[in-house]
Amino acid sequence: MTAGGAMKPILLRARGEDKSRSISTYLRMGGYGALKKALIMDPAGVRKEVKDSGLRGRGGAGFPTGVKWGFVPQDLPKPKYLICNADESEPGTFKDRAIIHTDPHMLIEGIIISSYAIDAHVAYIYIRGEFWEEARILEKAIAEARRKGYLGTNILRTGFDLEIHVHRGAGAYICGEETALIESIEGKRGQPRLKPPFPAVVGVFGCPTVVNNVETLACVPHIIEHGAAWFAAIGRNERNSGPKLYGISGHVRRPGVYELPMGVTFRELIYEHAGGIREGHELKAFIPGGSSCPVLPADFVDIPADFDSVAEAGSMFGSGGLIVMDDSVDMVWALENLMTFYSHESCGQCTPCREGSDWALDILRRIRRGYGRPEDLETLERISRYASQGMTICPLGDAFCGPISSFLKHFRNEFEDYIAKAKPLPPRTTPVLPVRSGRGRFGI
Amino acid sequence: MVTVTIDGHEVQVAEGVNLVEAARAAGVEIPTYCYHPGLRVVGQCRVCFVEVEGMPRLVTACSTPVKDGMVVNTASDRVREARQAVLEFLLANHPLDCPVCDQAGECYLQDYSVEFGTDSTHMVDDRRRFPGRERNELGPHVIQNQNRCIHCTRCIRFTQEISETWDLTMKSRGNHAYIGTFDGEPLDNPWSACVADVCPVGALTVKEFRFRARVWHLDETPSVCPGCSVGCTIDIGHLEGIVHRFTPRENPEINGWWMCDFGRFLAEDLNGRDFEVPRLRGERGLQDTGWQEAMAALTELAEVGSPLRVVASANATNEALYLAKRLFLDRPGAEVVVPVHRGEEHRVKNAQRQWVAGADEHPNSTGARLMGFTTVDTEGLEAFLRGGRGPILILDGGAHPWLLSQEAARAVTGQKVAVAARKASPLTGAAYLVLPLASWIETEGTLTSSTGRVQLARRGLFPRGQAKPAWEILALAGRQLGVEVPTPLTPRTFFEAMAAEVPPFAAMTWRRLATEPGIPVLEEVAHVG
Ligand SMILES: Cc1cc2nc3c(=O)[nH]c(=O)nc-3n(C[C@H](O)[C@H](O)[C@H](O)COP(=O)(O)O)c2cc1C
Ligand code: SF4
Ligand code: FES
Repeated sequence: MTAGGAMKPILLRARGEDKSRSISTYLRMGGYGALKKALIMDPAGVRKEVKDSGLRGRGGAGFPTGVKWGFVPQDLPKPKYLICNADESEPGTFKDRAIIHTDPHMLIEGIIISSYAIDAHVAYIYIRGEFWEEARILEKAIAEARRKGYLGTNILRTGFDLEIHVHRGAGAYICGEETALIESIEGKRGQPRLKPPFPAVVGVFGCPTVVNNVETLACVPHIIEHGAAWFAAIGRNERNSGPKLYGISGHVRRPGVYELPMGVTFRELIYEHAGGIREGHELKAFIPGGSSCPVLPADFVDIPADFDSVAEAGSMFGSGGLIVMDDSVDMVWALENLMTFYSHESCGQCTPCREGSDWALDILRRIRRGYGRPEDLETLERISRYASQGMTICPLGDAFCGPISSFLKHFRNEFEDYIAKAKPLPPRTTPVLPVRSGRGRFGI
Repeated sequence: MVTVTIDGHEVQVAEGVNLVEAARAAGVEIPTYCYHPGLRVVGQCRVCFVEVEGMPRLVTACSTPVKDGMVVNTASDRVREARQAVLEFLLANHPLDCPVCDQAGECYLQDYSVEFGTDSTHMVDDRRRFPGRERNELGPHVIQNQNRCIHCTRCIRFTQEISETWDLTMKSRGNHAYIGTFDGEPLDNPWSACVADVCPVGALTVKEFRFRARVWHLDETPSVCPGCSVGCTIDIGHLEGIVHRFTPRENPEINGWWMCDFGRFLAEDLNGRDFEVPRLRGERGLQDTGWQEAMAALTELAEVGSPLRVVASANATNEALYLAKRLFLDRPGAEVVVPVHRGEEHRVKNAQRQWVAGADEHPNSTGARLMGFTTVDTEGLEAFLRGGRGPILILDGGAHPWLLSQEAARAVTGQKVAVAARKASPLTGAAYLVLPLASWIETEGTLTSSTGRVQLARRGLFPRGQAKPAWEILALAGRQLGVEVPTPLTPRTFFEAMAAEVPPFAAMTWRRLATEPGIPVLEEVAHVG
């Protein structure tokens, strides 16, 4: 298989099929065959197969899935849980939805096999609140699988039991972060936990828990069916293997979800698959993998779209949600737009993220309103330095600091242009002391 | 025990303690906001960053347990810059209204900004405000100014983990998050004012205290709460002779870091005084007189012949009770009781998060019992007062709430009563002799808590007028009655005499009391549960 060329779809093989979501279609295409195969292997064998395949988490961090499963303590007398992360809330990311829409049973099968591998008997699908239709699709698929004996007690008469619960979120991006997600499932305010301990050891309800992305879990049946070597051979290098769903949005002619081997170049993604930049415009910049990944200018378009190559270029591959910007984009506006999202989504528990996200947004708004000051860029850099890299509890700090520092690094001139044309700052409008509201029975 | 090195100082600390405590043991202060030794560790404020050798990133000291051989650096440039950044973040939206903020002087945002922060900010934009929550009555005792909040969540955790009343929560999200109560419910629990104690800034302040004094002017006197037999360790804040507040002082064995609202707001009560000089009944009713005449009249009463009935006090110090024992319990010719009012139960959590309950509303009923006194309830007290025709000595007119009633005055009609009191009551109106009694803060002495711990309450003020503490009145009376009283006449003298004579107090020394948070008596009296 050549990188860049179209491939026979794997994750999206049911796309275009009639009634692709129904279990009969899935079974006709060989579905649940991998489950049968897995259940006669021992769990350690399944874990080894996934580890050998080189599958890396598709949720954003690219952590090797088999290694993560290996962190679950085997001898702890506690139940273990698998959580499928279907929170998919990062701007520019919409691949998990494509899987749920076209082939929910592939995900269910992946969850069953993965639960078996880590000895979990309860699995949760945590799905973002706005995905009400997708939640319904999953509920329906679970009911179908249960009727056919793929879920419930004594699955396929092997003695393995599993229940899957769909848990809907309430519309918070932060609940995609695995420990906030766990808090949310426990019925608490969705706030990330301090780590360590990691979820693999202390997760939901204090028990060992594995959290995996939808796309990650959807790969599992294929790995079991075709073997680790087959999976590892897809893609350009062995550390970045497998098929990948690229969600392409922005100023391209054919935005959408494309399944391609890991490691195609951004040029191929943009110009061959997504039909190129819209008429009369040119590529200016792109965000490689969802809005939290540092922006790259057009000259990076020839690098491969995989974890390690993008990291080398100073950004992150993230979830593979490629956001394309053409020459009409005002980069100050673009960053302000991103910051509006992140400052709204900060959970607010830790100082640098709570204060820094909003402060950065205030500065960007002021620059765009024409009141920028030369010191502002330094302040933005300072914020991005001290609200990231471990200064915060969870990586949401990094998620807005990466954009700030990369926009400033690659497009500083646009910020400077705004500031050069700026008017002096208007006088302060906020009094330092609280204004008497007539309710002040207690003084200040 | 493990050994860690902090800024070059090697210390031995218990396994499992965090780097903040380890550093404290080494004499190094690490700034903290969200960390409180009595509450769950959340690592949210991010001000406690330190560098640990072998770890690539800075770590939060509060959430990092010690490991043997750890080498910690709290003073490197990296640590300093990180702290400065966090402090700048915290101040970015802070209103900086210190001149009108009542927390000023005991505000950790001020203290750490001065010590670890920078003297300027890059913030030029409008600061965050919470209209309607800038002087908001959260409950009967706590006022909120959300503008000043640094989101450390200590107050929330207090209501979850200590009071277990779950009154407070974080509402909204991100930069707009604020502390609130559940819809329509006030912050009203028996320990509610503690949330203002744990608030490191001026976001939560105590309604009864705010704006009464600048705290740097306050004198703080180590004392014990007079509210009940738990005997919470406290500081009494006073200024120019006026008591302004009680605040809990750390005592792992008794009250942890907390105290109840009932006890806390007894502070105001210390300020009233109706009697400044002794008063003796003459032809024209009660007349001011001098101590010499008063003591002569008291001796006369005591020597009438028919047994003297003495109402001692479970609010008195161990030393006063010891003298009362020498004068009246150990000698023939007197009958003594100690009235005990059960009242409502007050309790508080110790540092191990166990509830410590008070058996009754007296700070020293345990001491009175250990000294061998008979205790009586309201009925017993009334029967005692009505049960004879001889003279009566009441050591404290406020020793029992019933003594303040009209019935108490009626019960003693026709009998000669000497009463030591600070405040006027029907009983003092009916008395033959009134001796001006020093208040709680005008007395020095020890108290025995319901957990069997003896604590020292210091004197913070000289008695107003000619008032005298109970121990002094008894010492003078003892001399007049020919009882041997050890000299010099100080609480310490009597404490040492007591320690030598009364077995449960054996082997205690004044010096230890002055430095330790309570010495257990040698008898099983624990009320912990
Ligand atoms: C702020 C934030 C938001 C996240 N949102 C998502 C999400 O929507 N979906 C997801 O799969 N992972 C998300 N993650 C990553 C998860 O924390 C976790 O790493 C991932 O679900 C692990 O799955 P994987 O190993 O299969 O990639 C988010 C992480 C952060 C820090
Ligand atoms: S970094 Fe932001 S989102 Fe993450 S825990 Fe801190 S405040 Fe919450
Ligand atoms: S004190 Fe350590 S993070 Fe707040």
